[in-house]
Amino acid sequence: MSLVRPFDKLPTLNSAVILLVGTDERRQQQLAEAILKEKKNFKINIHVATSLPLPAERDHVRPRIDLIAFMINMQSKHSLRNVEASLSHIDANFFLGKVCFLITGVGRMNHCSVEMNAVRKLGNLYCSPVLFCELDSEGIRAATAQRLLRMLQICAGHVPGVSALFFSSLMKSSIDE
Amino acid sequence: MEPLQRVEAASKALGKLAAHSAAAGGSVETGAASRLGAEAGEKLDLVTLFRLREQIKQQLMEYNTTVHSGEESIPDQAIEEKLFEAATEDLEREMEQAKVSFQNKTLVLQRIQLMDALRTKLRHNDSDSKLILETIKHIIMLSTAILESQQQARELEEKLNEIKKRRFALKQAGEHKLLQIHTLKKKQKEELEGMEVGEMLKRICRNLQKETQMTTLIQNIFQSIIIGSKVNWAEDPVLKAIVLQLEKNVNCI
Repeated sequence: MSLVRPFDKLPTLNSAVILLVGTDERRQQQLAEAILKEKKNFKINIHVATSLPLPAERDHVRPRIDLIAFMINMQSKHSLRNVEASLSHIDANFFLGKVCFLITGVGRMNHCSVEMNAVRKLGNLYCSPVLFCELDSEGIRAATAQRLLRMLQICAGHVPGVSALFFSSLMKSSIDE
Repeated sequence: MEPLQRVEAASKALGKLAAHSAAAGGSVETGAASRLGAEAGEKLDLVTLFRLREQIKQQLMEYNTTVHSGEESIPDQAIEEKLFEAATEDLEREMEQAKVSFQNKTLVLQRIQLMDALRTKLRHNDSDSKLILETIKHIIMLSTAILESQQQARELEEKLNEIKKRRFALKQAGEHKLLQIHTLKKKQKEELEGMEVGEMLKRICRNLQKETQMTTLIQNIFQSIIIGSKVNWAEDPVLKAIVLQLEKNVNCI
């Protein structure tokens, strides 16, 4: 079992790598396309996986992963369980801001089989921001892609003075106070 | 942008194909060809270079932080290290002492062995042993002489020290006494000056001085007259008494 470590390899110049983990492959593809469509001035590599651990044979070819986005569909418990199982294959140093959770399918509350509390607790437990998005609509997909792009820039160290540790501000919500 | 979009679409299609043919639960790696602006046209102008420089600096800082956070030392370790160092120093010192004592013991042992060999040799009582005996006696004589002269030298030094001490004590006493005389004289003078009848006493002193001077003068004159007249004053008892009286120093009365 190979652990994904954040600082194992050297970064490549002017490029960033994001890893999308989730059971819904179609949505992953859509999000990947939306990210690629955005305007950016650095090279981006999008890796897509349904679950971790990543196969060990390609480890030396794989570049350094800057951000891991876990996609959870509120309407299927299977996706939540899959994500929870994959979380144990990540090195602890990743949870210093290089992991985020993307929640889809909140729009239709009566079809939700995953509870909101469970998702929030997951975010608190792993100290990672939880972003809600409806990837079915174009506009929200584009907005999510922009957010992810900005987060990816910061995680890859392209923005001077801002580090991935600042994402804890994304986790505080006004209801909690 | 048309050909670029086509390239993108083609790569995605390839990726999908790979995804379908891969085993379930594996990963698909889609290398997105997002090279905005054709590769050849990517000019490395100053702004881009600066931006890249900032990027690399930030990444370097992140790596440095990770390294530093990984290599922090626990304070307990530092204390333990100090204990170790102190213990090693103590042990080294003890080792040195043991070595020195061992060397001393070897020396003593060798001396004992030497003396024993000499003694056995002497018991044989041949010409060699006679020579050895002679040498030993000579050595003993010289050693006693040395001891005696050293003793005498020490005693003489002691006496010298004593004399020096006494002289120094006398000098100090003399200084002390002189100081006392000085202070007393000063006190007396101050007392005299402080007295209310100072003025009158001064006048009396001056008068006395004048009188004594005149008396001495008259005495000297009389003396010279008598001597100058070449009279033998020793024969006449009255003249003798007068001359002797003239000799008396008026100041000493």
